Amino acid sequence: MDQPTLPIPISFISGRYLLFSIDDVTYLRREYNTCGVLIGTLPQIPQQNVFLGLPLELMPEEARLLVDKGVACIVDEAKAHDGMQSLLEEDRRQYLRELESQGLHATRILAERKDQQRDQKFKEKSDKKAATARAAAKAGGGDKHDSPATPANDSPASVADFFDDSASAKASTSTVPEQIYAVTPTTSYPPLPRPSTSSNNILARPDVPLSYPLFAHLQSRGYFLSPGLRFGCQYVAYPGDPLRFHSHFLVVSAEWDQEIDLMDIIIGGRLGTGVKKGFLLGGPQLSREQAESEIERTESVRTFSIEWAGM
Amino acid sequence: MADADEEVINSTSAEAPQIEVDLSDETQDFRLLNHLSFLGDTASSSLPKRGEKDFEPNPTEFQADVLSASRQAMHNALSHPRIHNPKNRVIGFYAPDGPAPPPQYVETPKDKGKGMNISPDACVCIPNPKGKFFQNTGQTDRWNRVWLLPEEALYMIERGSMDIRWPTSLTGTTEMGGDVSEDEVSIPMSLQAAYACFMGQGGLTLERYSVFTGLKRLGYTVFRAPGWDDSAKPEDSNNEKKDAYAQLKQLRHRGPGLAGILASISDWIHDPMSTASTTAGPVIGCGIHRSYSDVYRKMELIPWYDPVLAPQRDPLDTIAPFRVVFHVYKPTNVIKKTALPTPDFRIAVVNTREQTSIPTLPQLGALLESTPLDPPSGEKMERLLYMRLRHGYRNVVLAVVDQGVTSFLRIGDAAFGKEKLFDAKHVPSGGKKHGFSKQRRR
Repeated sequence: MDQPTLPIPISFISGRYLLFSIDDVTYLRREYNTCGVLIGTLPQIPQQNVFLGLPLELMPEEARLLVDKGVACIVDEAKAHDGMQSLLEEDRRQYLRELESQGLHATRILAERKDQQRDQKFKEKSDKKAATARAAAKAGGGDKHDSPATPANDSPASVADFFDDSASAKASTSTVPEQIYAVTPTTSYPPLPRPSTSSNNILARPDVPLSYPLFAHLQSRGYFLSPGLRFGCQYVAYPGDPLRFHSHFLVVSAEWDQEIDLMDIIIGGRLGTGVKKGFLLGGPQLSREQAESEIERTESVRTFSIEWAGM
Repeated sequence: MADADEEVINSTSAEAPQIEVDLSDETQDFRLLNHLSFLGDTASSSLPKRGEKDFEPNPTEFQADVLSASRQAMHNALSHPRIHNPKNRVIGFYAPDGPAPPPQYVETPKDKGKGMNISPDACVCIPNPKGKFFQNTGQTDRWNRVWLLPEEALYMIERGSMDIRWPTSLTGTTEMGGDVSEDEVSIPMSLQAAYACFMGQGGLTLERYSVFTGLKRLGYTVFRAPGWDDSAKPEDSNNEKKDAYAQLKQLRHRGPGLAGILASISDWIHDPMSTASTTAGPVIGCGIHRSYSDVYRKMELIPWYDPVLAPQRDPLDTIAPFRVVFHVYKPTNVIKKTALPTPDFRIAVVNTREQTSIPTLPQLGALLESTPLDPPSGEKMERLLYMRLRHGYRNVVLAVVDQGVTSFLRIGDAAFGKEKLFDAKHVPSGGKKHGFSKQRRR
């Protein structure tokens, strides 16, 4: 978890803000309360939706805040990848060599792990055999509960047998040089040079909705904010990293002189209380015409928490 | 003065019994992933249980340690590499200019004009397709190569099932010395490069892609629907059909529709005792009334919407984003990609940042009319009034995406008017247990 080189390039792809580097993702989460939403498939367990992987999608608000803080810059990724055409012969060769060595590394690790698994299974098997023998000896003593357990114990052992053979076969062949695993890299940097603020494919800072000041305000108070679709609000506010904490507030932003339907307050208050969260209504006191910048607007934010009293 | 409803709410907030816990609904602690051993061991790939979370941060070192362990677990899980076993590696080539015949192929006059039968949006070519994925992914051309659409290619590279290469025509060839094939000299595409190149290609948006992969990960088979292209309009050649629409529409203006008219005529014939006229005089006239049903039928004054009579609309005659972009098949069905059966679900994708309001009635009406009639059927539906209403006569699924978070809503075209509550056989049985939360009623 080293600190990545700043500014962190945020990929702008098809109108969305994405992060591909795990180091960038971890760093922003740790230092800037920015968690985004993971939208990719985890290659190790691809058929499920509970744990997702890279890329990480950032809300325009998150991207804007990071750019305003000077931590990140927005990169036009399609344009940056035109650089693949002008890649130097030397770089290309070095990159391929680098990938090959990564593949070799992965191959070795896998082979080692298989050896380990084989050893462990072998050990388990012999242990089990000993246990079965002991149980059989005991069964004569009249313990009936042991006997149904014995066939159940047998089947995993035979499965282990099967794995044993294939594992040893693979381990022996994996030493042959042609069996090197291929690697799909996650990011394109390298072979492309990591974009800096001087690159010509840097884009202007993102446009943000009217709710940005409230977002920035809560962010500055240490809250982690994520999209609010699941609770029918604009953001869900977590008091700490959502990995470890439940959310506290359903956040809805309003302009200072905006009329708010009373029903919306009731709905938000009831829903929030029903899911053990507060309904947080807030917004900047200055409108976009009155303030010079979103930063000024952010400084004028006031927040209100509404709870359904159920009298 | 708490009423029954409030009691329910209060009790749920006090005990919070989770009726349906969707694990993907909240951020999971990645440490749970460590209980699974990866790489080669498929036996233990069952999902972990919900983790315990704390209420709020406190300055204890214990909490800091747990948090940093969670983050480390997440870091490790997300840095898992995508590696390809050389034995079953699938290699695809990025084709930025769309499908093309193989380079060594010379077009003979005989073959001229023969289409490739490949979608022009396809952008990755697999010369040697092998493995289970191509049973329901991609299109095969005359040379036995499989072409993938951008979303299919991106999903394959993302789940680590395919190695996509930059075309050597784009990056140039690397002299590695000796006689080598294209496989070895071309540069592998990174996940980031694949996103940069495929996203935005041929109408693929990140929202549509999120819905596509979300369903694919759960095992559904997903194909593009004709409405994929936002700008596609219905062809004018089917004028006949349009005339039929117009006729039907006219019919609709005359109240409850043809069936309604026929019914009123037959009522008039079968009920000589009728003396009622709703324009002058009482609804139920004098005379001998033999059954309540007749009386109630006479009291049906308010015209109601009958989804069966709604015109069938061309799926392209709808307004984006409220048009069907995906046809989805349940995982249990075996799908032949060359002969697709009727889809199990039709899905429209909506982005909350661009479409902030719920659809208007014309938008929703058009969307539903573009789906085929799917009346409630089966023993259970016939027995249970609530099930019939819930199922509706047409249905469509709206996938609502908010910055990467997806919710699915099923919209059914329920026909309350078709349920004659006064007929004894339609008397509802079973309580209203599930609520109408995700139903549209009209």
